[in-house]
Amino acid sequence: MKKSPSDNKKKDNRFDLLRELLLEEDREKFNALNQEILVREKVSARVDPLIDEKIEDLRKNFPEFFGDTITETIKTQIRDSQDEVVDALYPIMGKMVKKFIIAEISKLSENINQKVKKTFSFKEVFNRFKRRASGVSEGDAILQDAFQPKIEEVFVIEKDSGILLGNHSTGNIANKDMVSGMLTAIKAFAEDAFSKEGQDLEDVKFETFQILLYNFQTVYVAVAASGVLNATFKGKLTDRVNDFAEDLFDDRSDLEDESKLNEMIINYLIKDDLN
Amino acid sequence: MIVKKVLLVGSFGVGKTSLVRRFVNNEFSEDYISTIGVRVSTKMVQANKQVLKLLIWDIAGTEKNERIPKAYFLGSSAAMFVFDLTREETYLNITEYIDEIKELSGLDKFIVIGNKVDLLSTTELEEVKSLIPEEIDFITSAKKDENVEDAFKLLAEISLK
Repeated sequence: MKKSPSDNKKKDNRFDLLRELLLEEDREKFNALNQEILVREKVSARVDPLIDEKIEDLRKNFPEFFGDTITETIKTQIRDSQDEVVDALYPIMGKMVKKFIIAEISKLSENINQKVKKTFSFKEVFNRFKRRASGVSEGDAILQDAFQPKIEEVFVIEKDSGILLGNHSTGNIANKDMVSGMLTAIKAFAEDAFSKEGQDLEDVKFETFQILLYNFQTVYVAVAASGVLNATFKGKLTDRVNDFAEDLFDDRSDLEDESKLNEMIINYLIKDDLN
Repeated sequence: MIVKKVLLVGSFGVGKTSLVRRFVNNEFSEDYISTIGVRVSTKMVQANKQVLKLLIWDIAGTEKNERIPKAYFLGSSAAMFVFDLTREETYLNITEYIDEIKELSGLDKFIVIGNKVDLLSTTELEEVKSLIPEEIDFITSAKKDENVEDAFKLLAEISLK
């Protein structure tokens, strides 16, 4: 049987009623949200300019507002991390001082070379020409020919404990840990017996073998080299060790990674010939 | 590899070097300890389920006025105080001695070892024990290899803490 229009109307009313009953709660939530958004927009319109103004004010007057606090924080940080700060500055300071000393030594070396020029016999003139062609000074060239310096061992050792952190060796030292411990003990003994407070042992010398000790705040680097260690070699070595230390202290986690540390030793001190 | 510096301290002749010799095979000549007052040995040990390398600094016992460089005591992770059970003078001032080393090293706990037990009877040992104001961790005999390994194992365990 076909439905009459009044039947359809009744049905619509029932749907409206049902919708009213089922969606009443959602409609309330919708209205509440709508209200909230409207309120936020109103507040935002009034507050945003104030915030922008405050940010601009803060940007302009930041040093005045926070300068003292930041300075104090940095001071505290430096005071509490003295070891790290010293380790960071040590190589840079060392380089500056070393550059000055090298410049002075170069002047002295030039004076010596002048004297050598005057006193050498006629027979030596030819050899001198040969050496000059290779860019090497007279004194150094004679010594280099006889005893070319060579790095035999490199040890990176924790200063207080004598624990070996990394090394490179061309020799056959059986127990490197024991050697680094004993070297640390000998160093401490010599410093205690002979030096004034705060001074470090820097050199242990045999006839044609030398251990150069480069001291930093928490570690020291011991480089054992054979041959005659002339000023040029030592200068280059000091530069390399300082560069190595700079890189090492840049990321202190390298001190705990023996294989990475050993790789760094090779890259900085072994790979390229220092002669 | 974990490496720890540990100290062996105590008066002259208490048997520190004998204990190290019993525990370790690789070592430097005897001359070092009489010349610079220390000898360093190494030994791999297992403690707390970890393998670690001990760097053992055997520091010479000295007479009252002799000086030991303070630096020998720095950077250590544990220490063992050894005394001779048969010589009163080696444990008479044990607390003061330990306090002094604690101050130099910054360590707060020491293992206390009474050595040369092979030279005492049980009764004599009890008498000596009653005279010691500190708690004794191990009674050892380097000569008869009694408790040596255990003493160093405890030292290793403490060094890991």
